[in-house]
Amino acid sequence: MNDPNIKNIKFLHSGLLSPVKKWGAKWSLWAVHLVTSCCGVELAHTYASGYDAERWGTLNFGMMRQTNLIIVEGTISKKMAKALRMTWEQMPDPKFVIVMGACGLEGGLFWNSYHIVKPSEIVPVDYFVPGCPPTPEGLMRGILALQKKIESGEAKATAKYQPVRLEEVLEIKEVKERKPPKSPVKIAEKPEIKIEPRDVEWEFGKSFVDELNQKLAGAGEAFITDVNRVYIRTTKERFLEVAEKLSEDFDHVKSVNVIDVIHEDKFIVEYTVSSYSSKELMPVLVTISAEIPRSNPRFPSVIDIWPSADYQEREMYDFFGVWFENNPAMGEKFLIAPEVETPLRKDFKIPQPNYVLGGESE
Amino acid sequence: MKEISVELPVEPPVEVKSLFLPVPPGLMEESYKKDELVIFVGPQHGGSGHMRIIVRLKGDVITEAIPDPGYVHRGMEKLAENRLYLQNIPLLERPAIMDCANFNLGYVRAIEKALDIEVPERAEYIRTILAELCRIGTHLYDAGILSVFLGHTTGFMWPFAMREMICEALMRVSGARITASYIVPGGVRRDVGRDVLEYIKEVTFFIERKTKDFEKIFIMNPVTAARLKDVATISKKDAIKYGLVGPFLRACGVEYDTRAVEPYGAYDQLSWDVVVADEGDSYARFLVRVNEIAQSISIIRQAVSILRSMPEGNVISPDIAGKKKKAKKKEEEGEEEEVKGPSDVRGKLYRYYGRLTLPPGEYTTVTEAARGTVLYTIVSDGQSTVPYRLRVVTPGWLYLKGFMESLKGCRLADLQAVYGSFGYFPPEADR
Repeated sequence: MNDPNIKNIKFLHSGLLSPVKKWGAKWSLWAVHLVTSCCGVELAHTYASGYDAERWGTLNFGMMRQTNLIIVEGTISKKMAKALRMTWEQMPDPKFVIVMGACGLEGGLFWNSYHIVKPSEIVPVDYFVPGCPPTPEGLMRGILALQKKIESGEAKATAKYQPVRLEEVLEIKEVKERKPPKSPVKIAEKPEIKIEPRDVEWEFGKSFVDELNQKLAGAGEAFITDVNRVYIRTTKERFLEVAEKLSEDFDHVKSVNVIDVIHEDKFIVEYTVSSYSSKELMPVLVTISAEIPRSNPRFPSVIDIWPSADYQEREMYDFFGVWFENNPAMGEKFLIAPEVETPLRKDFKIPQPNYVLGGESE
Repeated sequence: MKEISVELPVEPPVEVKSLFLPVPPGLMEESYKKDELVIFVGPQHGGSGHMRIIVRLKGDVITEAIPDPGYVHRGMEKLAENRLYLQNIPLLERPAIMDCANFNLGYVRAIEKALDIEVPERAEYIRTILAELCRIGTHLYDAGILSVFLGHTTGFMWPFAMREMICEALMRVSGARITASYIVPGGVRRDVGRDVLEYIKEVTFFIERKTKDFEKIFIMNPVTAARLKDVATISKKDAIKYGLVGPFLRACGVEYDTRAVEPYGAYDQLSWDVVVADEGDSYARFLVRVNEIAQSISIIRQAVSILRSMPEGNVISPDIAGKKKKAKKKEEEGEEEEVKGPSDVRGKLYRYYGRLTLPPGEYTTVTEAARGTVLYTIVSDGQSTVPYRLRVVTPGWLYLKGFMESLKGCRLADLQAVYGSFGYFPPEADR
């Protein structure tokens, strides 16, 4: 009785008004707007003029208080799970849940991610629509199946598959035990991270790097790694000095990156900067890098020089636990859920795929 | 009017703590003292994708907007470190599936750069067509979402009907409605036939005609203009300072388009213009994207007519297919033969790419996706069949800062219009 799925159906199928209730619920399945992930694109197509799901009385609606159906569109992250539950709780009874996409079933493409949960653990699900993403026809099939469930009171799968026995189909007398295939994923145990100068045909770059090296005056060493790519190696102490000198030409940060080199016990912090104001420097990406020890990951923040680095520094704090001094938001999780700790460090392991049917993943 | 401040002992509601709302410490107390309201917008709201914006209000004017992203964070950078280079192709188009070709293109180009592969000309043109189709599709998608935000439901139906044609074109090219995964290192998965090219050309005429109708209904609608004009204006200086990208940067008067600045694909062989506006308000952002649709249509038509005159086949680089080695052997034996790539990789993907290893180093590419610059950095150790570190910076993540800064001084009722004009798509920003 506590199962909300049974409670909903029981409510619809009881009392004198039961036919009216069933009819009303069946033809007014209003779905709350909960585009949790990329499947939302196909959902939008389902409700737009191409497929026009309104023909079956279902309509996408903004507020959860006036709806009775959640279509979970894809992945539910750890952060979103709470929002999903709260949305579901605020909806009036009777209410239904359709989960769309492979991510909602078993995780799909993101099955071993550190940041996803299965929607079926959070809300009671009526129907799953598999696919990555499912087509609008597939989603419509899920909604029609739900309508049938409301009418008849029992959930039925819309497709049935007969178990196939290899012996019968291929006329094989006995199925040989086969060796599991070898995983093609090869991860080096002691990898070398080396970023070295390369000889490329780039006339402007050679003079530019010479000028840059003069300007830096020993604060860092600049070299060309590719056409339009310049790399500057410096130290943590002199990083701000280099950034200050570069900020005359380069006005924004395109990427903040941290590389965890665990076997050498260090982090490499990289800022990739570029220019919008100078036409000839537009294609040039300059990467400034410095190494910091893994045990004391503190780094000077550049948000006073380049405000555009702010959110990416906070992201790197989430991912690696690198503390950017002077960034006022340090210490608070920004992008990921509070319970996940430094997921992108190399010693944070995620489940590995298993290539043997029926075996357990590592 | 003169403001009077009264020192009263105030306490923020307990929900702020009990619901773990990500409010910066001291913000609630400070706002209470200043007679400001703190409003939480989202994560469940009428837009596409979900995020929370913590808005501080003085009256109904926004004084500060603090983002709380990550509701669609799926940890792609970590997942990519555990998968083959080939397996990462479908993974990395998931941030913005309507923009699949551009997102694939950036990643694949980084691999090609590392391996030093030259892509056959035909494949470059096919890639360009696909990238532009996806760009039109994304612009239309965001126009639809913008109209939902403004409460204009008809304006949602029109672009999605046009998108249906783009989905059909992608389906004829790759087999999938939106998740094409069509671009692979060294070329594209298979050749595009003449009939499909004809269809793509017809689609451009259809979209051109329908965009004119859509212009009457939504784009030039006085209500749309009234909701968007002079809302959330960003100056050129601020746009550069906060590192805006793509059409939103160009709407502020900065002529920066990665396709023109650092050409890839076939963009340097086709004639097209960078669309720039000076106003920097929400309407300019929207109009820049509308005008980019026209540019994309012109690019597609040129590319289709060039492809028509090109011999079919040869869409995969011979380096990938292992034909170069054979040719070298033959050359040593005295026979010379023109090396030609295959026209199809179906069924051979793992043979070609399964044991792909990149030489050690760092490889960075920037690509112009529909919403702006997408940057990929692959760090390889030279031994593993997976990237050592993969950094993806998506346009949504880059312009979030500018988006939040632009909200300052807007009215609360304009927040939806600004959100829609930026086309902010959280799955893309959070990765």
